[in-house]
Amino acid sequence: MAAAVQTETVAITINDIELHVPKGELIVESVKRLGLEIPIFCYHPRMKPVGMCRMCLVEVGFKQPDGSVRKMPKPQAGCTLPASEGMVVYTDTEMVHRDRKGVLEFLLINHPLDCPICDRGGECPLQNNTLAYGPSTSRFLEVKRHLPKAYPLSEYVTLDLERCIQCGRCVRFTEEISGDSQLAFRFRGASMQPSTFQLTDFESRFSGNVIEICPVGALTSSKYRFRARPWDLETRPGLCTLTPCGTNVFYDYRSGRLVRINGRTNEDVNEEWTSDTTKFGHDALYNNPNRIQVPHVREGEAFRAVEWSEAYAAVLGACEGKRTAVLAGTMLSNEDYYAWQALARTALATNHLDLRWQKTLLPASQMLKARTGLPGVQYGIADLENALAILVFGTNLAADQPMSYLRTRKAWFRNGARVVVAHHEASEAESFAHVVLRYRPGTAAELAAGLANLLAPELADATRIATPEWTEAQTGVPADRLREAAEALRGTEFAAITTHGLFDEANGVTAYQTLALLTSHAGGKFNGLVNHANEQGGREMGFAPDLGPGGEAVTAGMNTAEILQAAAKGEIDTLILVGCDPIRDFPDTALATQALENVANLVLVDSAQTEACAYASAILPMALPAERDGTYTSSERRVQRMERILKAPGESKAPWQIAMELGLRAGSSAPYFHARDVMDAIAEQVPAYAGARYQDIPETGVRLANPEGLTRSNDAVVQALQSLLGGR
Amino acid sequence: MSELIQLGAQRPKAPAPDQLELRFSDKAIAELDALRTHYPTEKACILPGLWIAQREYDGYLSPAAIAEVAHRLHRSYAEVEGVATFYSMYTTAHQPGRHMIEVCTCLSCHMCGAYRIADYLEAKLGVKLGETTPDGVFTIHEVECLDACDRAPVLQVGDQYVGPVTEADIDALLDRLRNEDSSAVVQLADSIVQVHLRDTERAK
Repeated sequence: MAAAVQTETVAITINDIELHVPKGELIVESVKRLGLEIPIFCYHPRMKPVGMCRMCLVEVGFKQPDGSVRKMPKPQAGCTLPASEGMVVYTDTEMVHRDRKGVLEFLLINHPLDCPICDRGGECPLQNNTLAYGPSTSRFLEVKRHLPKAYPLSEYVTLDLERCIQCGRCVRFTEEISGDSQLAFRFRGASMQPSTFQLTDFESRFSGNVIEICPVGALTSSKYRFRARPWDLETRPGLCTLTPCGTNVFYDYRSGRLVRINGRTNEDVNEEWTSDTTKFGHDALYNNPNRIQVPHVREGEAFRAVEWSEAYAAVLGACEGKRTAVLAGTMLSNEDYYAWQALARTALATNHLDLRWQKTLLPASQMLKARTGLPGVQYGIADLENALAILVFGTNLAADQPMSYLRTRKAWFRNGARVVVAHHEASEAESFAHVVLRYRPGTAAELAAGLANLLAPELADATRIATPEWTEAQTGVPADRLREAAEALRGTEFAAITTHGLFDEANGVTAYQTLALLTSHAGGKFNGLVNHANEQGGREMGFAPDLGPGGEAVTAGMNTAEILQAAAKGEIDTLILVGCDPIRDFPDTALATQALENVANLVLVDSAQTEACAYASAILPMALPAERDGTYTSSERRVQRMERILKAPGESKAPWQIAMELGLRAGSSAPYFHARDVMDAIAEQVPAYAGARYQDIPETGVRLANPEGLTRSNDAVVQALQSLLGGR
Repeated sequence: MSELIQLGAQRPKAPAPDQLELRFSDKAIAELDALRTHYPTEKACILPGLWIAQREYDGYLSPAAIAEVAHRLHRSYAEVEGVATFYSMYTTAHQPGRHMIEVCTCLSCHMCGAYRIADYLEAKLGVKLGETTPDGVFTIHEVECLDACDRAPVLQVGDQYVGPVTEADIDALLDRLRNEDSSAVVQLADSIVQVHLRDTERAK
């Protein structure tokens, strides 16, 4: 998008080494170019510098015409000092060492030094900097300041005010990154403390990040408190499988048990942030006390633990020649989905398989691609950052796509991108929106038509009736505000973002497709993202009733709702649930319950006991994502790999392995020995993954490109619009 | 505030926008709307907004007052509270009395007996510096330099300086203030609000 920018450089000298750096670069960043380091507390590369902690003091001077250096009389904070021509910086002089000692002595005056019981002990910047640069003793003999300890700021964050060194990182995070401004400094001077308004609940979707950026143990995780010492932890890179963003994380575990999740830097996805769902949601999943250890088969009222072979025999016996359907959860890996759809379509001879759990389930012929030729994902999360304007439509972005939300906010905060937020209820994104279009629930399609009327002249015939005034009458969005929104977007190659959640609104599908079409006509890019972890990957693997691997058309089977309805009527003999519980996941709980009650054989492949267990005839233990190898495709179509981190409990197996072993017994599957073998099969079958090799997927993942040369067709959407608008 | 809280107690929640009991009068709302136009952002309007609130809430920036300012200026509660608790002329600790008597104890006043005056005030009113008399009439405070060394020892009451003061002056001052129904703290807040406003924007 942006052309190569010519950056002006300046010549500076750091510790007698001359180098050229971009003009205005902060000295704390410039020294990194030499492999040097300045100790810091308050400085954070992703936030504006404030110079609060004074840890980064350096000596600075300027070259004089006669070649000598005139030093400034006082040291300067490297984090707020922009590089300028002729600047001479010293990071290693006697004076700097004395200054650092002094700053640390001051910081430690009121610090309680309760390191032995502090969660940060062992990975604490204050400890590290004191060890490297600090004084060995303190001259302070007086009584230390005493303040509340372990105050629970929220369900997740515990505040220890005594430990705080008032660096302001947490305050700036909520102000600059997450945008909820939930934390601020109250009082001043020695009594200054970061806290919420009147110490009320810290309500944020991103509160966990302040724990990670706190340079001391002032903000600690309520869930991780006192559970481990950092040096006892083992850490491995992994992925979040709870949000659709593909957030990169570290799994920290101790004695094989997951104790915490930390953000892992991936500039293309999450930078270094995590949402609270990611950071705190995995604990309940992996440390569930009701994990299933071994296969079980029903015997009368009770279950009997059996060998895998017996369980497989029972499952295949229940499937053979029976009307079978397979439903899957959204957390499986690409390999799992591929293996299960292959099993269903061959050995089980059924096309009744689905992984979608919304109310509205579109048949392939009604989907965006089929009706307009446009792909549903046209740009990546990181591309949002460079957008001049962003249209957030029909979604609570912070909840549905947390990482897209942070990028959208960053685009606004850093680059002044204009953000238009259209939704029927209040959402976080409104706080920085240029224009808010709050439409009446169920009128998203009319609003999309109204926007199309203003932005896409090619659709004028279809949307002639949808003038701003008409749109105001239909949706309650003032005509002027609609015009203002259109002005903000016009000619900007704006990025439109919505989610499949929009389908569940009245005429939501029409709204979604109109939006895609108008964005394309107006020269923008459209993302209509899935809302669940690996739903995108599952669809691409062909785990759908009417689409095979790679989107090839197949004989249509029943979708989730139809399967459950059929099951409720007793028209399904065997229902296989892989990592899902319809009672929990399906919006219509009554139907789900009725379906499970009326299925003769319910086969459950799951990691932990769910309500569905009560109806099961066989239960097979499944390993969770971090307990096996696999690849995952996030909502922006980034394929990332997560290798096994934890040991799966008992005899749990990966779902692809269960599918493969069932297939082998039914005589239809090739033997796979590792997820990479399944990936090879995927590379053959799914065009978008052609040539993909499991071990070649880079650490940051690969974003799948869209095939070029897609033609756009208006007809189907125009027809839908006309029937919608004409009916008024 | 110990581990026990963490284990058991419910955390209080910040009030939702529709739970706020908004107390700004029509005049105050008009003033705030006028002040908003003086600044490029609403954030910049927090300080004068707080002065209006200090006047509307009888000289005390209670949590409710802070929340109201935040709500009206579309800022977060925490941010406005941070501003209010930073500046010492905003009263956020407790409801002050009708009259706030501020005793300057900086160098010149100190040399001229400021602490003698402060002790006398404490003894006479029966409260310590920073406290309010039980009848809610007086609050006494120690403040830094009032920039009136020529009148040391000096007191500030509302927007008036009194000084140099002796014990006898204080007796007379307290008697006079006790009989005044109008509140000096509200009057001070109002005069600061009026200073911010343009002539055309002041309520006639």
